[in-house]
Amino acid sequence: METVQEVITNFIKENFIMGRSEINLAPDQSLLESGIIDSTGVLELVMFIEEKYSVTIDDEELIPENLDGINNIVNFLKNKGIN
Amino acid sequence: MKFCSSCVLPETFPGIEFDKEGVCNYCRHTLVPDKNKKQEYIKKFENLLDDVRGKYDYDVIMAYSGGKDSTYTMYQLADKYNLNILALTFDNGFISKKAMENIVHMSDICGATSLIIRPSFRKMKKIFKIAAVEDLYNTKTLDRASSICTTCIGHVKSLVLKTALEKNIPLAAYGWSPGQAPIASAIMKTSPRLQTFTHKTVRDPILENCRELSTYFLSDDDLKIEKEKWPINIHPLAFMDYDEKEIIKFLKILGWEEPKDTDPNSSNCTLNALANYLHRKKFNFHPYAWEMAGIIRSGSMKREDGLIKTTQEEDLKMVYYAARMIDISID
Repeated sequence: METVQEVITNFIKENFIMGRSEINLAPDQSLLESGIIDSTGVLELVMFIEEKYSVTIDDEELIPENLDGINNIVNFLKNKGIN
Repeated sequence: MKFCSSCVLPETFPGIEFDKEGVCNYCRHTLVPDKNKKQEYIKKFENLLDDVRGKYDYDVIMAYSGGKDSTYTMYQLADKYNLNILALTFDNGFISKKAMENIVHMSDICGATSLIIRPSFRKMKKIFKIAAVEDLYNTKTLDRASSICTTCIGHVKSLVLKTALEKNIPLAAYGWSPGQAPIASAIMKTSPRLQTFTHKTVRDPILENCRELSTYFLSDDDLKIEKEKWPINIHPLAFMDYDEKEIIKFLKILGWEEPKDTDPNSSNCTLNALANYLHRKKFNFHPYAWEMAGIIRSGSMKREDGLIKTTQEEDLKMVYYAARMIDISID
């Protein structure tokens, strides 16, 4: 079974990075600052997480510390009880 | 130049890979909404309209460019769904004269109040010039649209939200084509946090370079407005039937006229040819390729038509006109 980190990493690779070999996706990297996602991408990411893990992300939780980076997302989901 | 055999993305598109059949990885990974999915959204949409209709001064604020997609969307909201509309037009200084006539005429047909916001041309010229010659936005943003278009749309989205918050309007509508935005975001509540989160991508680069445009963007006070008051964004073309040629035919019956001074991918803006020209020159792919690919995947356009739209050279007269207006030189 895939870990949360693998699921999120694969989603980002398959939907945003695609075949861009010049992008090296590091777990602690900012997805916005490194140009991996844009504002539409943020929406897609939020919708994917909500659907995949059946969670609701509240407005207060929509902050870079929770969502802008693989480690941030994994920790955020961990705090919601998803490992 | 090699193109995906299924959509129109070219071999120069960032991250593209082709399989043995010549189909690109974007086509392979993108889920196209089926009839059931669209039906599910229509139901959700109609329930939402029933919830808000008649309860506010305006039911919906429409981001209205006067182009075919926003005109068609607005007409559907007025005629089919009986909504009271505030039609907000952002005049970037390059709206075709014919498009401006369409804005007035179609707003009347739809019973909408037209609100046109036009910043001084000096301000717009400054930011368009910067967007034309500098690297303002992140690379992913520029996969979907040119730097100049991104600048303009950034203003539009912000002004729509700002006005909706000011006037307590529950819905904010856009005429995004099925290739511009995914169905999953077709009905989505906006929120101050989400807005703040995404400011890095468009608002911040604009304001870092042109502080005088801050009036048109959400202020810190706007971002403090309680989340319950934020409107729900809707872009109904993601789940409605969409056929560009049919839409144009239909709108012409209503008196909408196609401008002759815009490029083939725009039905309102005389700056678009320059925006496309610069993008193609810099990135070697057409800024509408992503959108056209999405429309083709959705089954709403023939691949051949999309190929023409994304390979045709811009009319140089239009390119030079816009370049002169924003004071840049074209090699």
